Amino acid sequence: MLELNNQYTAMKRRIDTEVLKLFFAGKLDELDRLPFTIIPKDRTPNRCCIYKERAIVRYRIMALLGIDIERFDDEMKPLSEYAKEVMQEDPPVLPLLTTISTGCYGCPPDQYRISDACRGCFARPCMANCPKDAIVFINGQAHINEERCIRCGKCMDVCPFHAVVHIPVPCEEACPVGAVKKNEKGVVEIDHKNCISCGRCARSCPFGAIAERSGLIPVLKMLQSGQKVTAMIAPAIEGQFPGTLAQIRASLLKIGFDKVVEVAEGAAVTTEHEADEVVRRKGEGEGYMTTSCCSAYMELVDKHLKFLDERYSRAFSPMIYTSRMCKEQDPDNRTVFIGPCLAKRVEAARRGGVDGVITFSELAAIFMAKGIDVREEEAADLGDTSAFDYCRQFAITHGVADCVLSRVADPASIRVLPINGVDKKTFRLMKSWEKRAPEVDLVEVMCCEGGCIDGPGTIVKPAVAMKLRGGTKAATPVASVKAPL
Amino acid sequence: MKKEKVQVRICVGTACFVQGGSDLLLYNDFVDPAIIAECEIEGCSCLEACKVDGEGAPYVMIDGEVHSKVTQEEFARLLTQAVKNA
Repeated sequence: MLELNNQYTAMKRRIDTEVLKLFFAGKLDELDRLPFTIIPKDRTPNRCCIYKERAIVRYRIMALLGIDIERFDDEMKPLSEYAKEVMQEDPPVLPLLTTISTGCYGCPPDQYRISDACRGCFARPCMANCPKDAIVFINGQAHINEERCIRCGKCMDVCPFHAVVHIPVPCEEACPVGAVKKNEKGVVEIDHKNCISCGRCARSCPFGAIAERSGLIPVLKMLQSGQKVTAMIAPAIEGQFPGTLAQIRASLLKIGFDKVVEVAEGAAVTTEHEADEVVRRKGEGEGYMTTSCCSAYMELVDKHLKFLDERYSRAFSPMIYTSRMCKEQDPDNRTVFIGPCLAKRVEAARRGGVDGVITFSELAAIFMAKGIDVREEEAADLGDTSAFDYCRQFAITHGVADCVLSRVADPASIRVLPINGVDKKTFRLMKSWEKRAPEVDLVEVMCCEGGCIDGPGTIVKPAVAMKLRGGTKAATPVASVKAPL
Repeated sequence: MKKEKVQVRICVGTACFVQGGSDLLLYNDFVDPAIIAECEIEGCSCLEACKVDGEGAPYVMIDGEVHSKVTQEEFARLLTQAVKNA
């Protein structure tokens, strides 16, 4: 997967912010000018030319407006027209991801290639270890016979000169379930029937040819129309912004949310349920149980691992419990989940009960467009969080299991297996459970490696977030809030 | 006389922070400890530099001079240079 900070992310943040500035100024009709302001005439392009760059900026804006580019791309239609439609009626949530075919480079198929570094050595371990006799020597250098090669990578492992290179197709390589493929023209296509909305492909493409359709505009419309909206902040939010949780809360109130509630509160309910359930299942000798809070994992079960249907915990996700609590307290309020996750939008759409889902990076764009500086805000009172603050760990791998164990009478008796990130390999492992069940009691599944703090909607690297979480000593630069210059 | 430490301020205003400034807070991982020892590194409020030219985030101020678009490599280089000149 791409390193989080790169030119594409920077561009994305800039586009999001500029669009929101226009939104807040009530000037969405000027949207058509934006690709030209962002990509000016004198820019040195990173793509082939500024015209293509402008076209891609246009598509990014469409994705931010929530438009399904695959189906509703009309190149003659101005962005302002799209915006007008979106302002009148919210576009449907699914499918979550959309491809920008113009942006796709059309990478050559996944392959191994032998570079000039090959010395044509005497031992020739590549040839000796190739299971398909695909290596031939021409003019004293090794070559791979493409027709025979099965892309096992053995030659790469054994070459003493590191002369073999693996050239992957990043999006295909990233997709755990093989739902991203290239069509006959060599351009990326997503098989939405199989896609689990984990967002890995979108994070992997260095050309930005896969985008998530944002749900930001419907949320902003709610806020603008004066409806009362409760912001539900995911446990991963701590460390994503400069400043403390209390300051993040204050900033959210400032942009117009009526209330701010921590999803950790709902996570405490999930924890209690899962703790009861895992003990009961163990007592009845039913075998392993998996967690159920990761939305992309629930999609995975639904679309690819049907046999796990009776294995996952019946507890709802923290988002659902939190939303219920909010609606019990304030029946008139609408609820918006703010998290690091794309798949949560899918969960919200399928299960209902949550009125909107946005990501941290979209929230950052709101802050930037409104000129709100989180760490300059007067800290808002968080209230008494002692009942659920241990559940803030839900955002980190092994955190859910730890919470559940802390609510079990005899934690040592529960054997835990964390699935830290669902990729091709762990997907294969999970498939094998159908025939041979893992010898554990609790399987904690998180689709993103490291947990939600490395989700596709995050802003900072997990290492930074970890440093800033819980007000540890490493966070000193941020702790010195009002330090005079 | 004791040598003055190099004054380093990393802007952690929201705009800088989300556009790569957060990475600089990991300075212990990528800057030579000997250099860090010569510097006083602090996070600071918005330097207002973004309001002048909007595209230079993240900003860092070293001994009063503001630098824009500072990456981890650039940060390490600037610090080394500043310590040498001090």
